[in-house]
Amino acid sequence: MIRCEDILREVSELLDDEITAEMRIQIETHLCACRHCKVLVDTTRKTLTLVSSYTVLELPEGVSARLLDRLAKHMESGPSQ
Amino acid sequence: MNQHGAVADKLTDEELVQRVQRGDKDAFGVLVKRHERSVYWMIEAILHNQADSEEILQESFLKALQHIGDFRGESRFATWLIRIAINEARMRQRKYRPGQYESLDEEKSEDSDFHPRELSDWRPSPEQEVAQEEVARLLRRAIQSLPEIYRQVFVLRDVQHLSTEETAAALGITIPATKTRLLRARLMAREFLAPHFKSSAQPGRAVL
Repeated sequence: MIRCEDILREVSELLDDEITAEMRIQIETHLCACRHCKVLVDTTRKTLTLVSSYTVLELPEGVSARLLDRLAKHMESGPSQ
Repeated sequence: MNQHGAVADKLTDEELVQRVQRGDKDAFGVLVKRHERSVYWMIEAILHNQADSEEILQESFLKALQHIGDFRGESRFATWLIRIAINEARMRQRKYRPGQYESLDEEKSEDSDFHPRELSDWRPSPEQEVAQEEVARLLRRAIQSLPEIYRQVFVLRDVQHLSTEETAAALGITIPATKTRLLRARLMAREFLAPHFKSSAQPGRAVL
């Protein structure tokens, strides 16, 4: 019998589809009866969906240009090793 | 981006590496564009300082360029690059803050239970009700709120989309440790976002 703490431990692998079919059925059965766990799984899934769908990690202003500039200068001066 | 760049943009990392190894400097620029964000934020998770992180970002890509002839494709380029960046950041950290280095590598409390506090449901589509830039800002803050060891795994797995095995290899930790940290990181990120996206009778802007 799956308990709430089992869901908490398995939620990551559930979302990565890295659990057995048998475990999935047990979890889904639990989720039908337990609103708290359903919310936990749904909102964790939503978190990952949001992170995947946004370019969340922009660089601070100017970092990219200065990086390319330094690399270009290095390439112009030739290999230094 | 010029025409050459547009073509190069469709190549895999490993194909671009081969071009760089044959002397195509523009191909390295494409690799830089593709990975600069994740490399920067990996470094920033260790150093917590923009100026130092920028310098180490530059050092990391310079080192990658200097040693790209040694890259044999035994791991993915992203994994190889991240390892270089983490090593460079660690060296900087040891140089300036030797006391902090040891404590950051401790795997303290990883096995202790995590108890989610926020269990209200979210609005059906928070990204449609909250301005896009606000959502992006919240997500960035959620990631930055994660302690280093969790942030690294989260960025590599859920932002950069490396596999569990690649993430473990890049960080030099075991696969079970990677999975444990990823679970914790995801739950912590969810916990950070929950109050902002909580379902309510009066949907509106995110609470910033």
